[in-house]
Amino acid sequence: METMLFEVNGFSKRFGSIAALTDVSFHVRAGEVLGLIGPNGAGKSTLFECLAGVLPSDGGALRANGRPVETRERSSLLFYVPDAIAPWPAQSVRWALDFTIGFLRGPAPLGKEVPLREELIDQLDLRQLLGQPIGTLSKGQRKRVLLAIGLLTPQPALLIDEPFEGLDLRQARDIASTLRAHAARGRTLFLSIHQISDAARFCDRFVLLSSGRVCGEGTVSELAALAAAHHGSPPHQDLEEVFLALT
Amino acid sequence: MRHRSPFLWLLDKEWRELLVSRAWWVLLFAMGPLVGVSFISAVRTYAEVSGLNGTSAGVGEALSPLTGVWAPTFSACELAAVFLLPFVAIRLVAGDRQSGALKLELQQGMSPFARITAKTLVLLAGWLAAMLPPLSAILLWKSYGGSVYPPELLTLTFGHVLNAGLTIGLAAAMSSFTEHPSTAAILTLGVTVGTWIVNFFGAIQGGWWERAAGYTPAAMVAEFQHGLLRLDTVLVALVLTLAGLGLAAIWMRLGIAVNRRACESIGVCILAAGGIFACTFLTPGGSLLRTSWDTSESRSNSFPEADEAALRQIHAPLRIEAHLAPEDPRRLDLEHHALSKLRRIMPKLEVQYVSGTSIGLFEQTRAGYGEIWYDLAGRRTMSRVTTAEGVLESIYSLAGVAPPPENDEAVFRGHPLAEPPTGAGAIFYALWPGLVVASGILVSQRFK
Repeated sequence: METMLFEVNGFSKRFGSIAALTDVSFHVRAGEVLGLIGPNGAGKSTLFECLAGVLPSDGGALRANGRPVETRERSSLLFYVPDAIAPWPAQSVRWALDFTIGFLRGPAPLGKEVPLREELIDQLDLRQLLGQPIGTLSKGQRKRVLLAIGLLTPQPALLIDEPFEGLDLRQARDIASTLRAHAARGRTLFLSIHQISDAARFCDRFVLLSSGRVCGEGTVSELAALAAAHHGSPPHQDLEEVFLALT
Repeated sequence: MRHRSPFLWLLDKEWRELLVSRAWWVLLFAMGPLVGVSFISAVRTYAEVSGLNGTSAGVGEALSPLTGVWAPTFSACELAAVFLLPFVAIRLVAGDRQSGALKLELQQGMSPFARITAKTLVLLAGWLAAMLPPLSAILLWKSYGGSVYPPELLTLTFGHVLNAGLTIGLAAAMSSFTEHPSTAAILTLGVTVGTWIVNFFGAIQGGWWERAAGYTPAAMVAEFQHGLLRLDTVLVALVLTLAGLGLAAIWMRLGIAVNRRACESIGVCILAAGGIFACTFLTPGGSLLRTSWDTSESRSNSFPEADEAALRQIHAPLRIEAHLAPEDPRRLDLEHHALSKLRRIMPKLEVQYVSGTSIGLFEQTRAGYGEIWYDLAGRRTMSRVTTAEGVLESIYSLAGVAPPPENDEAVFRGHPLAEPPTGAGAIFYALWPGLVVASGILVSQRFK
């Protein structure tokens, strides 16, 4: 049985009269690739920001090893890579990667980060971009730099918002294999994906989110069984169909 | 790749962000012409009153370089601190939020106070770089044969650094409060205009407004321009700067509930208000907080030393009741030439102004208007004289102290200098802007 890395209990978040998250609960296992599936506006980014502590939640708790993890302690457990940001736009990609190692990873002495940086530069095809300011990169190039930043951080869990957004098919496949390789080394990946077909190919388990509520959690077969139980129909092994049935 | 502490990485990042900030380069560029205009016109005026081009020699004996040259030259810093520095600070603080870098950096877990400290240190370094033109004017003045009195220049420079600190604190707080840098800029300038309004009301209404106006940046800088270093003013400025930076740090924590951040902000404001109240109204330890140093060579904020020695012998509390309206020029004379100096030397002095109107024009015929009553340990006397000599005479007569003999040797004779500002135009209008443009191009190429 896989060990649980952390558990999310009853997260909720409102923006005025709009409920972005309502009683969101699920668990994340160590070393798995977990997909957060949901249409645009389902609350995926809000959930990630609340989990990472960059947006205050109205309620709920994150628990690890049986005890609650306060917001200020979460930086030792997880790291969140937002979508559609262009951090330090005037600085070069090379500097951003060094800054990630020097600053974002904390005060611990340097270990395998420098070889890892070189490995990521090759895996994510960043060598040509190293001297370029981040603000001048295309959406897809920026996404690859953000992924490299995320993968250079030391936290056991990495939350990535829309990892395949802005990438062409070949790049998406390359990045999927890079992420898989890092997951195989024990890194837990929690990915928010609105393209269900992408998620189905890549993730071990899924959390289905719709209108800020969790509609289901588990593998495709577990979700299919859940959908079948809800509707009294034979189980369907297609994630898209399962998603539609549960939301 | 060398191992450095995260804080040093943050300093490196903030410094690099400052280097790519157009607002900072504009500030650097503008400082040359701004300082040039004020320095050149001040040196010309100083030379003319010192006898250049056939004007009456000897008038310059009344001038000190502090009031004649340095106060106007460094006023460029005041202008830059109000209209240019806020944009540099807002760019550095709000830029992280705009680009999304803040969401990444917050996850490092470093205290927001350490983060805002890094930004402040870099902004102060950037400000010191912007102060190079006025500081280089000192060398130019020396090359003309001008006299330099370091204590007054240090006080003046310190005052402008303190003023910059206030601007940075204010701009940082506004940048953290608001979602967008332009809103932060509007609010920052709004607060600055608000302090001008306080100054205006202080001049008209007197009383509490006048007291509050004494702690606005403009009034603070004016004191430093006269070479006066007041401990309470410095402490109030530091409290306000720290409060601004504290508020910026609190609102930088995006993951904390708004209600909690608001409560913490109220706490910071209460602490700051308490600090300001203590600095302004409480005088523990024998008026420790009212300690001040007159660093001007001309002792423009002090009575002659012999008079100060005589006044120190008077230990009884002195109460002065002046029946003069806030806008009456005699009140300004009394305040600036006598009472401000008296406060520095007699901590047990209590001054009360009495007037029915703000301008005093229609009070002139009222019996008692214009009278200045002195009360020393129950003995009272009245005078209408508003000069320093007149005030001292009244106090000496009440205290039964013999006025000290005048000492002509102790009188400041000034440092006349009838030299035109040779080369200043080339340095401030061409060399400095050229250097800034060349450095800006080099830096931008390095970052491309």
